[in-house]
Amino acid sequence: MSEVRLTVNGEDHVVEAGLGTSLASVLRDRLGLTGTKIACNEGHCGACTVQIDGVPHLSCITLVHAVEGEVTTIEGLRDHPLVEAFVRTDAVQCGFCTPGQVVSAAALVAANPEPTREEIRHAMAGNICRCGTYPKIEEAILTWQG
Amino acid sequence: MELLRPSDLAELAMPSDGGTFVHGGTEVVPLLRDGLLSAETLVDVRGVVPRGIDGGTIGAGTTLAELEVEPAIPDALREACRLAASPQLRNMGSLGGNLLQATRCWYWRLDYPCRLRGGDRCHAREGEHREHAILANDFCASAHPSDVAAALVALGARLRTNRRELPVEELYRLPDEADRRTTTLEDGELILEVELPEVEASIYLKAMDRKRWSFPQAGVAAARVGGETRIALAGVAPVPWRIDSVEALDAATPLPRTEWKLPLARALVRRALAAIS
Amino acid sequence: MARLIRTEKEVEGRYEEVWVVVEEDPLEQWPEGPLTVVGRPAPRKSGFERVRGEARYTADIRLPGMLQAAILRSPHAHARVKRIDLAPALALPGVRAALGPGEAHGLEEEAGFSGAPVAAVAADTFRQALAAAAAIDVEWEELDVVLDPDEAVRREQFTADPRHYERGDVDKALAQADVVVEATYRTQTVLHNSMETHQAICEWAGDVLNVYISTQFIWGIRESVAETLELPQDKVRVVCEYMGGGFGSKNSPDEYTYVAAELAKRTGRPVRCALTRREEHTAAGNRNATIQRLRAGARSDGTIVALDGEFTNAVGWSGWNASTEGPMKMLYDCENVRTVTFGAKVNTPPMKAFRAPGFVEGTFGLECLVDELAAKLDMDPLELRRRNYATTNDGTPLSSKNLEDCYRLAEPHWERRHEVRSRSDAIWKRGVGMASQIWYGGGGPPSYAWVRIGSDGRATVITAMQDIGTGTRTAMAQIAAEELRLPLDRVDVVLGDSARGPYASISAGSSTLPSMGPAVRAAAADAREQVEDIAEQRGMPKDAPVEEVVDLLEDAQILGKGARGPNPAGMSVLTFGVHVVEVAVDVETGEVVVERVAAIHDVGRIVNPLGASSQVEGGIIQGIGHTLSEERLLDPETGRVLTSTLESYRMPTIADVPEILCEFVDKPDTQLTNLGSKGLGEPPIVPIAAAIANAIRDATGADVHELPISREEMLRALREAEARQKEKRGAPAAV
Repeated sequence: MSEVRLTVNGEDHVVEAGLGTSLASVLRDRLGLTGTKIACNEGHCGACTVQIDGVPHLSCITLVHAVEGEVTTIEGLRDHPLVEAFVRTDAVQCGFCTPGQVVSAAALVAANPEPTREEIRHAMAGNICRCGTYPKIEEAILTWQG
Repeated sequence: MELLRPSDLAELAMPSDGGTFVHGGTEVVPLLRDGLLSAETLVDVRGVVPRGIDGGTIGAGTTLAELEVEPAIPDALREACRLAASPQLRNMGSLGGNLLQATRCWYWRLDYPCRLRGGDRCHAREGEHREHAILANDFCASAHPSDVAAALVALGARLRTNRRELPVEELYRLPDEADRRTTTLEDGELILEVELPEVEASIYLKAMDRKRWSFPQAGVAAARVGGETRIALAGVAPVPWRIDSVEALDAATPLPRTEWKLPLARALVRRALAAIS
Repeated sequence: MARLIRTEKEVEGRYEEVWVVVEEDPLEQWPEGPLTVVGRPAPRKSGFERVRGEARYTADIRLPGMLQAAILRSPHAHARVKRIDLAPALALPGVRAALGPGEAHGLEEEAGFSGAPVAAVAADTFRQALAAAAAIDVEWEELDVVLDPDEAVRREQFTADPRHYERGDVDKALAQADVVVEATYRTQTVLHNSMETHQAICEWAGDVLNVYISTQFIWGIRESVAETLELPQDKVRVVCEYMGGGFGSKNSPDEYTYVAAELAKRTGRPVRCALTRREEHTAAGNRNATIQRLRAGARSDGTIVALDGEFTNAVGWSGWNASTEGPMKMLYDCENVRTVTFGAKVNTPPMKAFRAPGFVEGTFGLECLVDELAAKLDMDPLELRRRNYATTNDGTPLSSKNLEDCYRLAEPHWERRHEVRSRSDAIWKRGVGMASQIWYGGGGPPSYAWVRIGSDGRATVITAMQDIGTGTRTAMAQIAAEELRLPLDRVDVVLGDSARGPYASISAGSSTLPSMGPAVRAAAADAREQVEDIAEQRGMPKDAPVEEVVDLLEDAQILGKGARGPNPAGMSVLTFGVHVVEVAVDVETGEVVVERVAAIHDVGRIVNPLGASSQVEGGIIQGIGHTLSEERLLDPETGRVLTSTLESYRMPTIADVPEILCEFVDKPDTQLTNLGSKGLGEPPIVPIAAAIANAIRDATGADVHELPISREEMLRALREAEARQKEKRGAPAAV
């Protein structure tokens, strides 16, 4: 076990964790931030996506001791206009992948406020949705500014 | 387990007990977790490996995501980065790490005692091999997954490590009875920079079974460098595979369920050559 | 008055006769078309909770003192435990209990597939549990392995007796037919891959077992767990407020629930048992592979006179023999039909229902065969389908059928094929294909709901159902709001807990809306009638706003209750539809791109057009994965799953999605309940594979016969078509 200092959604935390512990498990099990989902736990599906300094990372394969930068999870994006856009366009079915979708989308629109369909498809291809909500996710991102 | 975080090359000492370098962690972390790689010491090399682009020199710590939007690099490399993995993996994964990724062969990934692991058979050859190699596949039928490696081989890029300089091509070796490794990197050797020559034209074409987030069924990089046309393929041999012409594919030795890769590779090579001529 | 009736109940195409108590269902159906709330697009109730990550799924539940379980699984495709020693596991740090074969339901000595559950461990952390499970010492006796379904059929190794069906005289009709086509179709094994893996947390509270579980059927879990553990049903409480997808795979408790329950009992602590993604790919069910050897005969005018099919379902070690032959029996008006369906028992992971089980696979075979017939008859495929339109289900009257409307709505999309084909070039060939859809989706009793209205003029629908991501909460709220004449935002829905509401239907077989919707409407109507009574007593008009009528109630409440009435006696309730698909095929590399899908479905009244379009899109996208890129592969030697990750098992990403146009006939089924709605969860995935394959034929002349249509299959079919062309050109001219 060794100490880790983390800044998550603007708050500083000090956590004891064994080396090899993932950021996702610290967020969920230690900080109670269960909005970040684990669906594959091996970096293949995007459900666990968080931002580190604004850049989408897979928290399930990020070693918590190796995190450099500020972590933003879905809990830090709850007031983002994308949330309203996702609900309005029905870009949520079972919802298990949705927080990860919003985290990826928030990084996309921060860098590129008016992405084209092609840009959305390129930037969101790492967030798997088994319900097939993709057309609505695309619409949500196209219309996120209302 | 221990995590070291050296901040310069002088501090970089690979521990004697067989530690592992880690950069983005996209390959090392899952392999460690699955027990496919064991290490008492992890050496986080992000403080050591250069990141960014300076003329024809690219820091090996530059992420694929940074490269995919970089106008100053050759088309083949940019496209190989753009079509690699998933957006999050491109954000995390470094250029150097990408070159060192292991095969996606499911037998290897599931820890079958195959030849790459020192065993005496290639399970894929006799078993399920529809995504496997069609060239140099006699000893081991694994397919090399790196789009970027194929692009760099075609571009005639060179590597600088903490010990030597070498063409990217020479980073790779075919595994054989005596030595099962697929790279020539020594213990403690770390890729620091990639050096690109002047490139007149280049392209990377990739066949996947979905439009994004898929390793290459076949990837073809072609480049005109100093008047020479160079071609390299991903996903068709245990290492990035260089050929001189489309006819070189006549020497392919596909397995029963990889025959389909041959017409695919031929079509992509012809298209790539047409595009840069 | 309560009535005891005997009624036929159908789930996923399987019928059973059941006794149910129903109350009068006297409500007239609402008029056709959009109403005030029902029939209007509504964003999802609980949408914000889900999008913001506040919704608490089973995976997010943390109980004090909770232990983590891991399961030891067989490394062999068929083997028996000769000796097992749990002691090495129990000696490891953090381990609290271990179970061997027979100590929890589902842990068995005989392992019939690689991955079969054998033993389990509970520990403080999941990592400790995994290490302990791996430390269990097992001596195996390996047994005879059969992986090939044809081999299993030859050995007569079945999961159930073969199913035979015949009407008319197929041999005679085939002999007399002007044209006969024959083909073998194969479909692969695909995985449900719900984003939330199968999991349960069990906790004993006195003599009550609390089961938190990701499930499609709260009441089925309650019943199965109670029966297996020999508990009274009301001593089992089942909770599932949010769940991360099921697609048919989460209808039953399975080994993980029993393992958690038993370990919780032994340790006196709550225990979570959650499958990993890799276990999900092995032991959580699948859509089984099929082999379909089909023949069709027709007269030259296009009348289909014979359909003949031999279907083999590679069921796996257990599971049921899904109705792969169903579409052949039901879709067309054909006098002579003969089918036999084998359920091959093989040493592979068991099947589970997966979104229209059997019909997805059977429609691929049948609707491709019909297009091959159309080609041979030189007849328009749409015209051929219309010419053989069925008006009954094998003689049984239909409660409603508007497939003809679907065909009419499909015409403008179908007409595009000339223009689409003309956009082909030397490399990219374009074409258009269609396929029809038939499936169940009528739901049935029993199902109940309560409606509570407070003096604040807000209503709550209470029923112990589950919302598996289909928008159930929203649809129920819309129905109640419509009946109560309340705005949608004044209606909440409480669900997801067997201790907090009456019995509710399974969310499978496209049955949630048609089963639950009528019960909710009946409950809302009961409450509304009470409100009207109060209005009358207050001297207010009968249709006075609810909040004005109830505003003096203070803590008093209006309570309404409602039950789902029976399905129409002697009728089949079926859903229909048609897909028209445009594809582009790169004939050099075998790449197939689905460019546009027009989906037209007839599922009775549409309650929420927005949610319905999401269902259709989702079904089509899942179907595109099934058609083009998904396949679970096994090691032919060990039977082990090779595509064990979401990198090697490739589901569609957002980049793979075509333009999707979604239309509904939207006519209430006048025979079906007070609502006239059928289910929509499954229909959209039924015809997509055949429509894609038929579009490929239109584009290239190549007949694909296997799913997935990988580059390998596409290039094979192109080569075969080319050889056929050459043969034709090379053949001597007819004299």
